[in-house]
Amino acid sequence: MRSFNSLALRQVRARPLRALLTGAGIVLGVAMVFGVLVLSATIRGTFSDLFDSIYGRTDLVVSGEQGTGSLPASSLRRVRRVRGVAEVSANITNVWTLVDRGGRAKRSASGQLNVAGIDPRAPDLTDADQVAGHRPRHGREIDLQRSWAETNEIRVGDRIRLATPSGVARLRVSGLFQFSTGLDFGGQGFGTLPISVARRLMDKPRVYDEIDVVVAGRGAGATRKVRKRIERVLGRGGKGVQVTTPSSRSADVDRQLQSFDVILLFFAGMALFVGGFLIFNAFNMTVLQRMREIGMLRTLGAKRSMISRTVLQEALLLGLVGIALGLGVGIFLAKGLVALLKALNFPVGGLVVPLAAAVVAVATGVLTTLLGALNPARRAARVAPIQAVLGGAEVREHPTLRRAALGVALVGLGGAGAYWLAAAAHPHTPQVAAGLVGIVGVFLGLSLIVPFLVVPLVRALSWPARRASSVTGRLAADAASSNPKRTGATATALTVGLALVVAFGTIGSSFLGSISSELDRDFARDLTVQPRGFAPGQGPQQSIAKGLRARLARIPEAAVVARERIHFLAELPRPHGATKTQGLIFGFDPGPYSQVDQTELKGASRKAAYRRVARGQVTVGETYAKDAGLKVGDRLVLRGGSGSQRTRVAALVKTVVFGGNTIGMSVQTMRRVYGVTADSQLALKARSKADRPLLDRKVHRIVEHDYPQLVALSNDEFKSKIEDQINQQFGFFNAILGVAVIVSLFGIVNTLTMSVIERRREIGVLRAVGATRWQVRRTIVNESLLIALIGALIGVVVGAGLGWVVFHGVAGAVPGAAYTPPVGTIISVAIAAVILGLLAAVLPARRAARLDVIEALSYE
Amino acid sequence: MSAGAGAAGIEVRGLGKTYGEGETAVAALGGVDLDVADGEMVAIMGPSGSGKSTLLHLLGALETPSAGSISIAGKRFEGLTDNELTLMRRERIGFVFQFFNLLATLSAEENVLLPALIAGRGGEKARARARELLQSVGLGGRLDHLPSELSGGEQQRVSIARALLMRPALILADEPTGNLDSTASAEILGLLSELNATERHTIVMVTHDPGAASIAGRVVFLRDGVVAGEVGGGSTQRVIDYLASLEG
Repeated sequence: MRSFNSLALRQVRARPLRALLTGAGIVLGVAMVFGVLVLSATIRGTFSDLFDSIYGRTDLVVSGEQGTGSLPASSLRRVRRVRGVAEVSANITNVWTLVDRGGRAKRSASGQLNVAGIDPRAPDLTDADQVAGHRPRHGREIDLQRSWAETNEIRVGDRIRLATPSGVARLRVSGLFQFSTGLDFGGQGFGTLPISVARRLMDKPRVYDEIDVVVAGRGAGATRKVRKRIERVLGRGGKGVQVTTPSSRSADVDRQLQSFDVILLFFAGMALFVGGFLIFNAFNMTVLQRMREIGMLRTLGAKRSMISRTVLQEALLLGLVGIALGLGVGIFLAKGLVALLKALNFPVGGLVVPLAAAVVAVATGVLTTLLGALNPARRAARVAPIQAVLGGAEVREHPTLRRAALGVALVGLGGAGAYWLAAAAHPHTPQVAAGLVGIVGVFLGLSLIVPFLVVPLVRALSWPARRASSVTGRLAADAASSNPKRTGATATALTVGLALVVAFGTIGSSFLGSISSELDRDFARDLTVQPRGFAPGQGPQQSIAKGLRARLARIPEAAVVARERIHFLAELPRPHGATKTQGLIFGFDPGPYSQVDQTELKGASRKAAYRRVARGQVTVGETYAKDAGLKVGDRLVLRGGSGSQRTRVAALVKTVVFGGNTIGMSVQTMRRVYGVTADSQLALKARSKADRPLLDRKVHRIVEHDYPQLVALSNDEFKSKIEDQINQQFGFFNAILGVAVIVSLFGIVNTLTMSVIERRREIGVLRAVGATRWQVRRTIVNESLLIALIGALIGVVVGAGLGWVVFHGVAGAVPGAAYTPPVGTIISVAIAAVILGLLAAVLPARRAARLDVIEALSYE
Repeated sequence: MSAGAGAAGIEVRGLGKTYGEGETAVAALGGVDLDVADGEMVAIMGPSGSGKSTLLHLLGALETPSAGSISIAGKRFEGLTDNELTLMRRERIGFVFQFFNLLATLSAEENVLLPALIAGRGGEKARARARELLQSVGLGGRLDHLPSELSGGEQQRVSIARALLMRPALILADEPTGNLDSTASAEILGLLSELNATERHTIVMVTHDPGAASIAGRVVFLRDGVVAGEVGGGSTQRVIDYLASLEG
């Protein structure tokens, strides 16, 4: 050892396993933060590639407001005539699905094709290079992205089958192109075909979805001027036309991803938080254990600051190794998360690993490590030289009441912060910060309270064991309650992850419960036909051509076939300067629709309300009405790509769909304002109950045979599909929270290992008086189970509480939502706790069982 | 060396224990023969490194011998698995340690009851016996006390009661007074010799205190891993003299 400073290194090297366990939290926490940042960069990278590819030379993009709906065909002519416009290319777009020879639609992302109908004579403004064959010229020809064609083993000249809104179409592959960005849109492909054919197949006559413009002259100034002119020409009459630059589109995506980022980073941060906890707990234990040694160093003249520095150095050393490993693991985690997102049909391409992500991950890792080691370092510095003689073996820590009071205060304040965030219909930075800091506060407070709960909880949980006068149970209980602070800290680490899982489960189950009871109440239909994976608000959706409605209506058993057109709006109209809200717009035919839907309307009878809807008025969701201050009879202006319309509120709708941010209108209004021409859903009702099975069979036959991209769902199937979607999304978040739980697993292993070291003599005695290895092992396993169960129990209570608080905040903002306890999640958490307890005990229990009896007995 | 001779009591033949292997091998015991009759009390003495602790560990089935054989009440140790050795300790041997080794979280009564609890026989009968034993070592009034609430002498009495609980064939005491003051030592030695005299318990005690050794009927001396000699007990002076002769 060359200097006092290298003492830290020696400590780490002397106990590599301990170091590994202590640093594991940092490894996983940093990995999580890094992984999440990489994931976020990857998603952004995918979209920026997308815009670079699609918009290539484009300076301005003209579309319906927020990209919803279509522009009338006349727009193209008018844009072309605008001064300063050099080149123009207009298109209509749709998502089609590849169909195999057997007529089955390919379910995975690589079966999806984003199709644009283009004018073959118009200039190509994209970033594509033709690499084989030629661009489509006329008729049923299609040009495909090469990578997609290769994945699906398609060659130039092949005829492929695609499921379009008008049924399965056969198209000849005229050529292959490649984007110079090498765009990977999560496996989804791109293709172009002549607009004349596209109009028929997409059922989009006389409209354009987008007009791309190249400006004459250079510079932002020229572009700005042209933009103003186009807005003036097209926006006449208050139409909701949007003229943007490609880069502002990517900024929009960025904005939309922000809340996703916040949640992901928060969860990753929680994993790191638990990691810091591990450091705190482990170093506190180490300091206690080394009391005598530290005292000795003090007698030799080491100053307090030197002692605390050694502890910090040791932590930092561990932290740095952990961080380095964490960056490596993070890449794998990011890959895993990307794969998970792809499984959810979210388009993500190849990994983008920004340097900034690594910097942030390293910085947070170092900070967490130092914060975790701060208190132990201070305690180490307080060790008096006399401890060299007295030793520290008997130092038992008992929590003080002052800490409990502080803990209760923190939990209360934290809960209030979480409520504030949840209750905000449109959370801004202060609410988000208060909410997230609040949740951290709840856990910090909890860590101060839990030590008080350890003794009674251990008593309660070990009651069956003591009742059966099992020695192993009794000794485990004694061990767990002998150091309530340590047991408490270990259990709290587990609590953090589990509580968040339960809290999110509560919110999930409550929404699911609310939606499910709404469907039970309001669905008067027997069957729903919709595109597979229909999820408005999550990118471009497939649609249903109107031919199908007529065909289904000809089935004798069908009493009603009602169409519904559902579109996502990034911004609902904002009367009275209401805050910006996303929402869904619904288009329906009031007559048929009233026969398949019983949704509760407020402020007017259904008959009266729908009569007004037929005349151009709208219904609005209660949440939206509340936020925008809308009452029945109030004025509202709808603006879309095709036109604008002044209207009035006919009735309020009691719904939790999309949080109650909805506007309902007639399909005519929707077409006039938003240019929407295709159906999203068809709701069917049978003539009689007896006709249902036959109707079901006939509809299924038609859909499966001619429209493989569509599905026909019974109401139960519809419900379970929504359930699956919600569960998948929660599954994604739970996977991230799972890492925090795994971190706490290492915490339990660490504590048990310490417990075994401390109780060596006791274990030796047990063995000497006739306890088998198996009995010793069981003592450790029982202790582990006790810690895990305490953590789980508190986690469930706190999680359910937190979920309740957050849900009530949300429920205040979303009328009609009802609390449903997440029974399934709670049961899974309990089972997980037992498994975790058993897993954590494996190594320490083996170590205890293998303890050399003589050595253990002679150990002082 | 007939089987009958060892049926009761302890029979040790050619007992050897070597630690390590090859060039680093150290022989702690190099062929010890020892007989302890049923109801006898034997003290084992010897300088540090003489092998007395090793002998005690081997007798206590805490370790397995490298050579030779041990039988206690007719049950031989050789070739037993770890579990069988554990059962042996549980059923036939009672330990009294220098550092008492009581479990800090268990009361006096529970500490005494521990072997029965481990054996899964912690019923009312065992409890009654535990109380009775504590009574007989003079702690009838302190059943519920934790070890930390008892003096060193009292703790050692609890550990003696624990050693007696399963009615073992042999009680092994490892420096039972090594951690006690003279008054407490005298009490503990009195208790051990009384147990031997009135209840005919077989006791083997390792000690380096000639006064403690002298309460035994016989004192066996070890040196360099072999039996160096033995004298009759009863007189401290005789033991001291013999020790001096060994060293001289």
